[in-house]
Amino acid sequence: MASVTVAEAHGHADHAHETNTGISNNKLAMWLFLGSECLLFGGLITTYLVYKTPLPGQKGPKEVFDIGFTSVSSFVLLMSSLTMVLGHSAIERGDHYRTRLWLTATASLGAVFLSGQIYEFTAFVKEGMGYTSSRFSSAFYTLTGFHGVHVTVGIIMLVSLILLSIRGKLPTERAETVEIVGLYWHFVDIVWVLIFAVVYLIPVGAPV
Amino acid sequence: MTATAVDHGPAESGGHAEHKSHDRTYVITAIGLAIITFAETATYLWPKVPVWDWGDGVGITVSLLVMMAVKFFFVGAVFMHLKFDNKLLATTFVAGIVLAIGVYLAVLFAFRFFSAGTHMV
Repeated sequence: MASVTVAEAHGHADHAHETNTGISNNKLAMWLFLGSECLLFGGLITTYLVYKTPLPGQKGPKEVFDIGFTSVSSFVLLMSSLTMVLGHSAIERGDHYRTRLWLTATASLGAVFLSGQIYEFTAFVKEGMGYTSSRFSSAFYTLTGFHGVHVTVGIIMLVSLILLSIRGKLPTERAETVEIVGLYWHFVDIVWVLIFAVVYLIPVGAPV
Repeated sequence: MTATAVDHGPAESGGHAEHKSHDRTYVITAIGLAIITFAETATYLWPKVPVWDWGDGVGITVSLLVMMAVKFFFVGAVFMHLKFDNKLLATTFVAGIVLAIGVYLAVLFAFRFFSAGTHMV
C-alpha cells in the first residue's frame, strides 16, 4: 500500500515501482504464470501421447486430421504473433493509431484461427468422433480445446486493449500492458507450434 | 489532444530508428517461421524427400522435432524479447519448460511410451 502511495506521489501511478530484480512485478508475474502453464500443457500433451493410439475399430489421427487445413490455421496464428509484436513496437514509439491497427489485426487473426478450430471440431463430430467416442478423441479435444480457450482469453484481452486505446486510456507510459498481453499471446502461439508438430504431423507422417 | 493521438515522445529522436530496426527483425523472423511451417507441412505432402525419408519414419519425426524446436526458440527469443530482456525472465521460463519436460518424460517412461510402440497400454 505504501509503495503505491509513493508511486502516486511521484506521478507514476501506472509505472511499476523500483524492485529488487529491476524487473516490473507484473512482467515477472506473467513469466512465472507462463512457466507454470508449461506444466499444464505438458500434462495435456503427455496425456494425448499416451492415449493417441485408437483401440481396434475406433478412428485415429490418420483417419480424421486434415493437415492442409491445420497448416493454414497454424500459419494464421504464427502471423498473429508478428502483428502482436508490431503492435507493441508501435505503442513504444507512441504511434497509437498503428497500435490499434496491429492489435485489431492480431485479434482478427486469432478469431480466424478459432473459427477454424470450431469448424474442425464440427467436421470431426459429423464424422462420428465425439468427445467420448474414444480415448484418443477425449485427449485430443481436451488438449486442443484448452488451447482454444487460451486463444479466446487472448482475444478478449486484445479487444480490451483496443477499447482502452480508443478511449485514450492506453498512453505510451502503459506500453508494458501491451507487452504483457503480447507475452501471453506469443505463449499461446508457442504452444500451438508444439501441438501442430506433436499432435498433428508426427502421428500422421511417422510412427512414434 | 487525447492520449490516443500520436505522442512524439523521447522515442522519436534516438529510439525511432531502433524501433524500425526491431520491426525489420520481427518481419524477417516471421518470414523464417513461415518457411519452416511450410517445410513442416512438406513432410506430410512429400514424405519421400531424402532429407527426412530415412530410418523408417524416424527421419520425419526427428526433422519435425528439430523444426518445432527452432520455431519455439525464435518466437521466444525474438517475439517474446527473451534475447534482449533480463536473463531472470528467460531463467523463469526455461525452469518451467525443463521441469515440465522432466516430469512428463518420467510419465512417458512409466507408461512405456518409447518401448511399446503402437501397442500402448
